Amino acid sequence: MKKIPIIIFLFTLLVMIAIISSCRSTSSLAEAKSGAQLWGENCLRCHNSPSPESFSDEAWDVAVMHMRIRANLTEPEAVKIAKFLKTAN
Amino acid sequence: MKNRYLVFFLFLMFSLVSQKSDAQEVQSTDEIQKLKQEIEHLKNESETYKPGKSNFLLRGYAHSGLQITDEEFSFVGGSFNPLFIYKQSDRLLFESEWELELTGGEVELAIEYANMSYLLSKNLTFRAGKILVPFGIFVPNLHPAWIHKFSAAPLGAGHDGIIPTNDIGLELRGGSYLGDFKVNYSFYAVNGSQLNDGEENPEEAGILHHAIFPDNNKGKTIGSRIGFFPFSDSSLELGFSGMYGKVGAKETEMEDITALHYAFDFSYVKTLSSLSSVLDLKGQFSAVNVDDANYPFHENPDDLITFDNNSSTWFAQASLRPALAENNFVRSLEFAGRYSTLKTPEGSEWETDQTQIDLGINYWIDWRTVFKMSYRISNGAADEHDEEPDGHGGAEGNAFFFHWAIGF
Ligand code: HEC
Repeated sequence: MKKIPIIIFLFTLLVMIAIISSCRSTSSLAEAKSGAQLWGENCLRCHNSPSPESFSDEAWDVAVMHMRIRANLTEPEAVKIAKFLKTAN
Repeated sequence: MKNRYLVFFLFLMFSLVSQKSDAQEVQSTDEIQKLKQEIEHLKNESETYKPGKSNFLLRGYAHSGLQITDEEFSFVGGSFNPLFIYKQSDRLLFESEWELELTGGEVELAIEYANMSYLLSKNLTFRAGKILVPFGIFVPNLHPAWIHKFSAAPLGAGHDGIIPTNDIGLELRGGSYLGDFKVNYSFYAVNGSQLNDGEENPEEAGILHHAIFPDNNKGKTIGSRIGFFPFSDSSLELGFSGMYGKVGAKETEMEDITALHYAFDFSYVKTLSSLSSVLDLKGQFSAVNVDDANYPFHENPDDLITFDNNSSTWFAQASLRPALAENNFVRSLEFAGRYSTLKTPEGSEWETDQTQIDLGINYWIDWRTVFKMSYRISNGAADEHDEEPDGHGGAEGNAFFFHWAIGF
């Protein structure tokens, strides 16, 4: 009896992974957004938004990768945000 | 005649040689230029491999404060949390946060998380190690003292709360677009919580302990969180989390006892130009249901007791920061309020039904250095399961807090 919820859960999980990994990492709307806009929309969702001057280019590379994972950003979003932060710092 | 030939010959030789050396000169300056460029390139490249310069970040935060109640006036909750982030390559990242905390006069060292992430694709990351459990938003996104806007975590969410904090396991996470609709997700398998069977400490019978190692059983706990962004500007996120697994120790009567944790969370952050402010609303409802079991009764451990082992907790918070105001002082202010509750099982030794209201004014020195001043109104019974008053919520009675937090 106890195993049933686990099996259902695992099954849903597999289906979800299959669906989601075939999803797109961008949309036409997201594609139209600039790095500055993505930064403005995403980087204040959890904490105060750091200004581009807060870090050097090299430090931004590491911090943005860290935040890409923490905030579940897609690759195109993270690339645009990093580019914006590095040109505006 | 001979001399003439000789002169001509010498002249020819000289002009050839000098022409050649001219050509050589041109060629060698080209080469030097090339070499210079190559050296510059190598120099730049080698810079990126220097530790502490490029792919390694040492960050973290520290916080501490002062608590004033009817009975006491004390400095509380000194903690220093260094964070190490190492970007090994464009796909591989290691992160680890430690916590050095002063509790009861002693320094405790804990590893909050230590894991490796590998970017599998544009929208999927694999993680392994000790992770912050992606259950709701408080633990993974808000727990650092410079992020959550109050002097302590909400009820139920601290280290001794009822929601999972950190654990060892594997995780797949990422974000994608379903049309213009953004979602993010996380699926994981971890060791899971452990049920206190009351054998050693009947007062705690039925409590789930999180982040205890090694595991007490073979079964893994699995869980997931899905977050939806209904608006295209990502201002609103609605999240659903679930976690299920065995919590009883193997080869005991409790072996088959399972626990189901679930949570709903929301976050709405929007810049309101009409108020020159950033409005931030966040909340999370979390509950845990543990299968029924018989536990030893604390007054006479030979007698057995049972109860519906269900607990729940929720918090909702709002803050407004006039971040776009002209005046520098006004721009650094933030007004914040939070309501939180915690209910643990009726009939258990650790039964409690508490609420807290926190009202605060914060002053931001920079984006992650803050002075927090808050007043707390607490209601309800607080007993065994109550949390320390030093940063994890749960002080009884009303209290004033002055707190500072710095992220570096
Ligand atoms: C999902 C919530 C969330 C979002 C969205 C988010 N951050 Fe963070 N950020 C955090 C947390 C949590 C920490 C603290 C990490 C810790 O101490 O565990 C942090 C820390 C940081 C730090 C300190 C260094 C580090 O890497 O820890 C920087 C810089 C940072 N964030 C930048 C950003 C930028 C830029 C963005 C926008 C792309 C962003 N953050 C979006 C949650 C978030």
